[in-house]
Amino acid sequence: MTHNSASIELKGVDKEYRRDEFTIPVLVNLDLAVAEGEFLALMGPSGSGKTTLLNLIAGLDRATRGEVNVHGQDLGRLSDALITRWRADNVGFIFQTYNLIPVLTAFENVELPLLLTHLSKRARRENVATALRIVGLAGREHHYPRQLSGGQEQRVAIARAIVTDPYLLVADEPTGDLDRATAGEILELLEQLNREFQKTIVMVTHDPLAAQRASRILHLDKGQLVGDVTQEGRISAAS
Amino acid sequence: MIPLKYNVRNLRVRWKTTLMTMLGTGLVVWSSCILFGLVEGLEYSLRVSGEPLDLIVMRKGSSNETTGGFASSKAEEILNLPGIARDEAGQPLAALELLNIPIAQRKDGTTTNVIIRGVQPASRNLRPDFKIVEGRFLDQGKEECIVSRNLSRSFKGAQLGAELKFGEKEKYRVVGVFTAGGSSAESEIWADLRDLEKNTGRVGTVSCVQLRAATAADFEKLQATLNDDPQFKLAAIPETVYFESQSRSSLFLKAAGTMIAVLLTLGAMFAAANTMFAAVSARTREIGTLRALGFSRRDVLISFLGESLLLCMMGGAIGLLGTIPLSSLTYETSDFNSFAAVTVAFRFGPLVMGVALAMTLAMGVFGGMFPALRAVRLDVILALREL
Amino acid sequence: MKYLNYIWRNARRNPVRSLLTIASTSVCLFLMMILLSFFAINDEVTGSVGVYNRVCVLNANGFAGRIPIAFMNEIAQIDGVQAATPFSWFGGKYHDEILPFAQFAVDADTAFTIMNELTIAPDQLKAFQTNKNGCVIGRKLANERKLKIGDPMPLERDLYPVDLDLTIQGIYDGPANRDLRMCLFHWGYLDELLKRVGATGSASEAHLSGNAGMVFIKCKSANIMPAICKAVDDRFRNSDYPTRTQTEEAFGKMFAEMLGDLKGMIRVIGMAVVFSLLCVAGNSMAMSMRERTTEVAVLKAIGFGKRLVLTLVLTEAVLVATIGGAIGSLGCKALCEVVDLSRYSAGFLPFYYIPWPIALEGLAVALLIGFVSGLFPALRAANSSVVDGLRKVI
Repeated sequence: MTHNSASIELKGVDKEYRRDEFTIPVLVNLDLAVAEGEFLALMGPSGSGKTTLLNLIAGLDRATRGEVNVHGQDLGRLSDALITRWRADNVGFIFQTYNLIPVLTAFENVELPLLLTHLSKRARRENVATALRIVGLAGREHHYPRQLSGGQEQRVAIARAIVTDPYLLVADEPTGDLDRATAGEILELLEQLNREFQKTIVMVTHDPLAAQRASRILHLDKGQLVGDVTQEGRISAAS
Repeated sequence: MIPLKYNVRNLRVRWKTTLMTMLGTGLVVWSSCILFGLVEGLEYSLRVSGEPLDLIVMRKGSSNETTGGFASSKAEEILNLPGIARDEAGQPLAALELLNIPIAQRKDGTTTNVIIRGVQPASRNLRPDFKIVEGRFLDQGKEECIVSRNLSRSFKGAQLGAELKFGEKEKYRVVGVFTAGGSSAESEIWADLRDLEKNTGRVGTVSCVQLRAATAADFEKLQATLNDDPQFKLAAIPETVYFESQSRSSLFLKAAGTMIAVLLTLGAMFAAANTMFAAVSARTREIGTLRALGFSRRDVLISFLGESLLLCMMGGAIGLLGTIPLSSLTYETSDFNSFAAVTVAFRFGPLVMGVALAMTLAMGVFGGMFPALRAVRLDVILALREL
Repeated sequence: MKYLNYIWRNARRNPVRSLLTIASTSVCLFLMMILLSFFAINDEVTGSVGVYNRVCVLNANGFAGRIPIAFMNEIAQIDGVQAATPFSWFGGKYHDEILPFAQFAVDADTAFTIMNELTIAPDQLKAFQTNKNGCVIGRKLANERKLKIGDPMPLERDLYPVDLDLTIQGIYDGPANRDLRMCLFHWGYLDELLKRVGATGSASEAHLSGNAGMVFIKCKSANIMPAICKAVDDRFRNSDYPTRTQTEEAFGKMFAEMLGDLKGMIRVIGMAVVFSLLCVAGNSMAMSMRERTTEVAVLKAIGFGKRLVLTLVLTEAVLVATIGGAIGSLGCKALCEVVDLSRYSAGFLPFYYIPWPIALEGLAVALLIGFVSGLFPALRAANSSVVDGLRKVI
């Protein structure tokens, strides 16, 4: 496959949900191209289709029509089992409610995706330590999620997202549950991951201040792109 | 008080959990009730077997009519004693009987020991509600026998017109099938006394004499004569007492049943507690709200205990209803005194219902207690904040 | 194996729930062990007596029938018979207790040759053999009733119109699966008393003496046992007392068959209990999984496949059920090793223990319960939608 300049590419994507006999269109004929190393913010009112778009890009959901290409892979062609495998290798997830496993320590939460690899126990330990160091949580390995603050929990979640060194990070309202100061720290961390480690990031957010950190802001409304602003002032891995 | 409707709705909303818990407790109640239904059947059969004016006369020291034996000549004299009730034809209501316990084969080819009783015509009237349901009563001296309906169903050669063979020498043609009001005779085969004496090489011996006294006063007198008169020196035991002492084998079943019921109740108690704990934790906020609205801790406690009871009662009801189809069931095992087969009909009565109720209450109350206490101890403010 | 940590933590996540499920499982399996062992012991013991090459001669009419003592002497002459003894059930009362323990009238000279798995000190055996009214009792009977050599052992009439006035001359021991609560005494002593009663009493009582009850034979080798059975039955076929001769193994099997429908009923109860446990354990697992809907979605999002999720949930269910099963079955086995339950059966069970195959069967049942009860919640988790699971409002 020839290398495509756009590393995420959506062509004519429709997404519909069926509720009983009704068909609810969520995304309508959407085209989008995201370059490698971009930090993309998705904005829009509730129900505009942001999260659905994120899910399509992350390989969690399938388009009703159209093509979703990520990093040279046509996701529509992958079986359920293969797309699961693909997610494990290529995508890191960050959620609004962190979604850490409460019965596992910070270390074990971060280690979780590595269990899917063939890494040795020692290699896993090293990778986890590196990830925790990057998010600034070295020394908190043995705390359980409930023993951590919201910001710290989100850092653990980010460490879990990057520990397999995925190509793409997706974040759904990563700062939605955090106060302003902590949110700023988390966004800085995301920026740093984008800048220093060349991670492509797609982030859904309500918060304009959060969106300011991105290199490009997309606005969605009723399933269609209504605005596309590249923030010239931002330094991004793509520029 | 928090209305019961609230609990009913909650059980309905969580219908899968409710159903599973009901099935779990129901099966437990069901299996315990089976055993108690049999205990009840066995006790019933022993109870109806004992007529208050009847005496069983055995050799002194025997505890069971299958084990003793004394001379026929002595037995014949008993028939002439005054005070014995008489039938319409003026014949005394007393019969010499001889018991033998040969090996018999079931229809499935397995073997067991059965009681074959050598009887006289009067034996019929000494059993409660004796009825020939198929064929006729046996004729004396013709090597004929009649078989209880229960045995006729499960034993080889015990059907009307067939021939029952025991060992090398005993052969009887089955000429009738009888019932006897659920009494212990329903586990027996009856043949003519003389035939049995001859076939088993015990001519001149009887196992017991069964008789009915005319009045209560005669009963006392007969008993005294038979026990103490040097001519007899026998053991005349009131039938009611005799059958009470035979309930040893029912005791074993009862003990086994109790053990099973207690352990299973314990197991089901844990299951009910599990469900109720889940109910309490899923409804933490609701509990907080109810408390905030002004319901007292006691109201909450009663409400959750009530829900637990309701849940277990429904399970218990399923289990109890599930035993009803079993009431036509008879089972056959051996008596541990005589090593002879006994057939017991499942009986759905107060004992079964009592056991089901006791189990259900125990499960409901003890299973619901700790979850309900947890609900009561919840801090209102924290509970309201719970997501 | 690397997932075991996670599975274990999950099993402990709601400790009250897991403990209740474990408790429920272990109590029910404990019960099942006790019920199943009842039959298994019988089979095991019956199966184990084959090596002793023994056969039993009974009247063709069963226990109540008569075996004249003269038969025994004839039988002892048959080729291949090593030794024979009468084995007559006395069934007397002991201090007014009805059927307190098994009592047999035997030939003191051959009894311990025939039942050679039972051990007794030579001097005690000698004392028993030379004392006409002596008896030997089993070790357990001696221990439980605090009886020692020289103590009287009075047995009162029940089946027979005589009282026995015995003195304990020895205490025998033997393997755990033999009745160590028997009282064995001289057949000659019983017969002498019966003769005396017969001389003064009626014809029917005269009939009581001279009855061996049953004859217990030791054969010289296993392969001649069928021939001996046939020889005995042929010899007495046309006598007044035809016999029914069978190996000790077949004899034991007959006892098991006497229980009739009881076995089927216990099986039905066992099945009901297993189904009940399926509901209980399945319910518990389903409740757990319902609470973890989001978490399962997260696992699947970060790349845990269907099969892995299925395995994780199933393993958890199996783990919890197996812990319960292990406590129930192995606990029951251990308890029965320490406490001799047969003591409380009023003579009904000579011994009680949980055979290994039954304990293992209990574990297997627990495993199965875990697997089946976990299957539906696991399939549900494996097939649940990631997108729905991650939706913030559930």
